[in-house]
Amino acid sequence: MTSEATAARTVTLEVFRYHPERDEEPSFQSYEVPYREEWVVLDALNWLKDEVDGTLSYRWSCRMGVCGSCGMMVNGLPRLTCNAFLREFLPGPIRVEPLRGFPVERDMVTVLDDFMGKLTEVKPWIIREQEQPVEEGEYRQTPSQLADFKQFSMCINCMLCYAACPVYEHEEEFIGPAALALAQRYNLDSRDQGNEQRQRLIWSDEGIWDCTFVGECSAVCPKNVDPAGAIQQAKVEATNSFFLSFLPFTPPGMGR
Amino acid sequence: MPGPLPRRKSNAWWNRGWPYRIILLRELSAVAVAGYMVLLLLLVCNVRGGEGAFADHLEVLQSPLLWLVHAIILGFAQLHTTTWFRLVPKAMPLKLGGRRVPDELIVAGAFGGWLAVSAVVLVIFLVVA
Repeated sequence: MTSEATAARTVTLEVFRYHPERDEEPSFQSYEVPYREEWVVLDALNWLKDEVDGTLSYRWSCRMGVCGSCGMMVNGLPRLTCNAFLREFLPGPIRVEPLRGFPVERDMVTVLDDFMGKLTEVKPWIIREQEQPVEEGEYRQTPSQLADFKQFSMCINCMLCYAACPVYEHEEEFIGPAALALAQRYNLDSRDQGNEQRQRLIWSDEGIWDCTFVGECSAVCPKNVDPAGAIQQAKVEATNSFFLSFLPFTPPGMGR
Repeated sequence: MPGPLPRRKSNAWWNRGWPYRIILLRELSAVAVAGYMVLLLLLVCNVRGGEGAFADHLEVLQSPLLWLVHAIILGFAQLHTTTWFRLVPKAMPLKLGGRRVPDELIVAGAFGGWLAVSAVVLVIFLVVA
């Protein structure tokens, strides 16, 4: 803690404000909030909403890095505000904005329709050509098969990866990191048989080939999902599949 | 009443910090590598042109400007190699005995291979020289 912040016991928050019924343009409003060693940015926003301005709007829920609701830009970087301590940003000011790359409904509340639509399109669920009867028991997996996709299954849909991605910022049609990582999560799952159903979209220009491997999606991911890795692995798979399609037979171990 | 604020875009995305700047330089490094290929092709053409053309080529290579160009290309080639080698485990994870090989080991293997090939090239150069 710096001496200035200790002495003042406050820190300045520059908060993005936009209320469509009132504002033509967004603006930043500065607030002095109490500094507490254990406070995160979300605590400061909650204090502001409770004590200063009840119209301040933002999403949050669990306060423990699980629900993925409280993602915002903090000093220009996408962060879960429940996981961004005030002490990281001393002496301030701390600039809080809505996630980049999304339309803004009001203040820090973004419009999620685009992401939710794309998430559904990649069919992030187990697809079976035919379900096995219940009497046959569960679909079993070895630890090795689980390890193939487990990392990609940790996504909490917080969309920090979208806010870090300059491709998504400029090309709205790009399916984006989280949705592609979740598609890869199911494609790698030994219980799933939906690879072909997902291919048309995933292997399209709007899918993996739009990604230029900036890699910041993985750097900002609070759950270490590594969407950039998932996308590159899908590219390798698509490339292998393209060249193997010229062979008159399927090499051992290459078919699903 | 106006609706939601449209998506905010900025062409200055690359200037949002060093990670983004390095990525842009990494992409730019491909141009430098391609430029070196052009220099190599010119060398091949001049070798084909006979002893005089080759001697002229060597003389031109001594110019300070071309020294500078080569130094810049070398820097970009280093950046190109190191940045992409670090990303190898993301694109090509390896499994041995059902367990994933640590990323650091894959990166170390790539750098080790690079050093080995460089050493072989150096030996050939020293033998020929």
